[in-house]
Amino acid sequence: MERYLEVNNISKSFPGVKALQNISFRAESGTVTALLGENGAGKSTLLKVLSGVLKPDEGTVVISGKEVKVQDTHSAFEAGISIIYQERQLIPMMSVAENIFLDDSPEKKFGFVDRRTLRAETQKLLDKFQLPFGPDELVGRLPVAYQQMVEIMKAYRRDADIIAFDEPTAPLTEKEIRILFSIIEELKQQGKVILYVSHRMNEIFEITDRIVIFKDGQMVDVVNTAETTEAALIRAMVGRDIGDTYNKLDRNTVIGEVILEAKGLTNDVISDVSFQLHRGEVLGFAGLVGAGRTETVRAVFGADRITSGEILIHGEPVKITSPKEAIASRIALCPEDRKEQGLILKQTIRSNISMPVLSKIKNGLLLSRKKEKALADEAVEKYDIRTPSIDKIAGELSGGNQQKVILGRWTSSLIDMDILILDEPTKGIDVGAKSEIYQTICNLAKEGKGVILISSELTEVINLSDRIIVMHNGHVTGTMTREEATEENVLALAMQD
Amino acid sequence: MDKSHALRRTFKRKEFSLIIVLILVVIFFGILTHGKFFKPLNIRNILNAMVIVTFLTIGEGMLIIYGNIDLSAGTVGTLSAIVMAHSVMTFGLPWWVGILMAVCMGLITGCISATLITRLHFQPFIATLAMKSVCEGLADVFGNASAIKIENKALSWIGNFKFANNVIPVAVIIALLFMLIYGIILAKTKFGRMIYLCGGNRQAAFLTGINPVKMCYVLFMNMGALAALAGCMLAARVSSATVTGVNSNQFSGVTAAILGGISFGGGSGGMIGAFIGLLLLNVFNNGMTLIGLDPYWQTVASGVLLLVALIIDYYNTRGTGKRS
Repeated sequence: MERYLEVNNISKSFPGVKALQNISFRAESGTVTALLGENGAGKSTLLKVLSGVLKPDEGTVVISGKEVKVQDTHSAFEAGISIIYQERQLIPMMSVAENIFLDDSPEKKFGFVDRRTLRAETQKLLDKFQLPFGPDELVGRLPVAYQQMVEIMKAYRRDADIIAFDEPTAPLTEKEIRILFSIIEELKQQGKVILYVSHRMNEIFEITDRIVIFKDGQMVDVVNTAETTEAALIRAMVGRDIGDTYNKLDRNTVIGEVILEAKGLTNDVISDVSFQLHRGEVLGFAGLVGAGRTETVRAVFGADRITSGEILIHGEPVKITSPKEAIASRIALCPEDRKEQGLILKQTIRSNISMPVLSKIKNGLLLSRKKEKALADEAVEKYDIRTPSIDKIAGELSGGNQQKVILGRWTSSLIDMDILILDEPTKGIDVGAKSEIYQTICNLAKEGKGVILISSELTEVINLSDRIIVMHNGHVTGTMTREEATEENVLALAMQD
Repeated sequence: MDKSHALRRTFKRKEFSLIIVLILVVIFFGILTHGKFFKPLNIRNILNAMVIVTFLTIGEGMLIIYGNIDLSAGTVGTLSAIVMAHSVMTFGLPWWVGILMAVCMGLITGCISATLITRLHFQPFIATLAMKSVCEGLADVFGNASAIKIENKALSWIGNFKFANNVIPVAVIIALLFMLIYGIILAKTKFGRMIYLCGGNRQAAFLTGINPVKMCYVLFMNMGALAALAGCMLAARVSSATVTGVNSNQFSGVTAAILGGISFGGGSGGMIGAFIGLLLLNVFNNGMTLIGLDPYWQTVASGVLLLVALIIDYYNTRGTGKRS
């Protein structure tokens, strides 16, 4: 009987976001099917549905004629699905052999692990993959690329019918990529169904047979690799209606002098990042996840160290080694993860807003509740934070209102920053609240602030920013104005090899 | 409208339910002891028994709100008391210099714990467990494995004098004063607020210009100093510094704080709650003794009391933000 994977009408929603809408495609035995799309297009969500990490709201998965109900990762194994994730799921304190045979080690009598067979089998795999380390090596001591190979061997050993690779080559060197591709070729010969998620165009053209293109949770096209071009794929990935949202914005038109300049910022993630930010400007940072955008702004803010480089504020070189010093230089950061890094969820709106200005709301030695209330009221008023009381717990607010609390923290009569860094300000926020945040960003620019905007949504970053800096792999790969930027040319710079 | 909201919040507060529990426990023992429980002498006993633990509760409470814990507080107190006893008796220094030396000892151990935690990234549990052993051993060494007798008028007055017809002990007043001052610091000052912010979300606090590392040092050194004072108070009361000193009170401080609604998750609770927790713990212990419960069963009952507090804490914190 012929092996295949069929995905029928899979839909999955999260609060405020339709992550997958009616996804249907079929992947055949002995072929490699690419899943292609921007960040957040839905590729990873689909893999999570296939592996049982997420439950779909609707739709079915059929493997070789049989409908499978994937309840959890274990039942995914049983159904013959093996997924190699970007984030490696290995146990660093265990050996290579133990990791590969984690779920079913060979056993001797009384349930003891048969170490000899375990090691011999692992050695065979290592030889096949031409890897220069032994079965007893601790996984945690291997370089990241080898850890990735261990993960791949784990899936290979399970002899699953369906194998999905989620950006497998990201940490690998050219030589290792060659070995991986020959393994994938062999899996093809064995008649496996292979799914391959990657941002690297040349790889997609080299090893895949068909391409499923995702955009905003929808499947926009399925093409045969031999019959398409890179330009056509990018067009399909980004071609969407921009809508009125951006045209309606009341933007700032007066751009002033340079207020922040970064020269050659370098640390272990970013290298030689330079840019200028002007008064009244919205400067966008585009790039894929892991391109080094967040690391760049954290370095500017003093939250991460830099090994070399220089920061100038109003033309004066400043030394910023902690957020406290950055704040003193009138820089504010609204971090990318509101819940993990931005808010104190257990605390009230009031005390979340007063965080950076505690010294300024004192009466003698004690904090003044009156001054704090005035401050919080001001933020609620300015940003239209919808809440019955400033004593409401921040964790109970909606995403949009939480973001407004963070903005309110940095712009008030007590603290007024010149430079605002917004890292993914609209992540996980519903459409209505998003356009409010867009207008807020324009208003900040009109007030004469310099705004740095990081967003993984290309349309957002292109349409809100006056200039866009594109990053890839820790480097700046291009700078352009809003007029010059198109999703195609930004994506090309963000995805280059 | 804002007022009714605030009122509802008051009723929902942990402190409110704690007072109810405390009242119930008091009535329970009052009835069971036929009123013996309410005699002034017994109330004095309860307050007197609280003194040593008060200092530990203040320090542990603040550390737990920050999201850490100090398991060495008991033995630090013991060691510091021995330092004081030696200063006064062996070297003939004035009593207040002796207490100052003890406090310095506490500051040093707190500084070491904070260094282990912030620079070497040890778990607070592990770092302070090691410090506990070190201090226990040092106390034995310097105390010659026995007790150092203290003959000093001032210290004896602090430890034993009672105002108002021999009813209100000086030590109790000192302890309550500390509780009050620290309560104000925690609830009303910038420093107090920063403890909550760090305990609620250290990353967020860091990104708004607060230095959590510095906070860690201050809080552990504060704990050390308070432990030293606890040690000195006990030594002053019994006129000697023993090598077991306040060791046995180690967990009472943590227990009272947890009973008082200071959550292990960090970032919540307060000094009023901790004070009620402290009262509850001591009323409970006193009541059990009064009704003549077997001491072994008293220990079991104390454990059950703590478990109940933890279970309530679990249901309170579940669903309101994350537990770390």
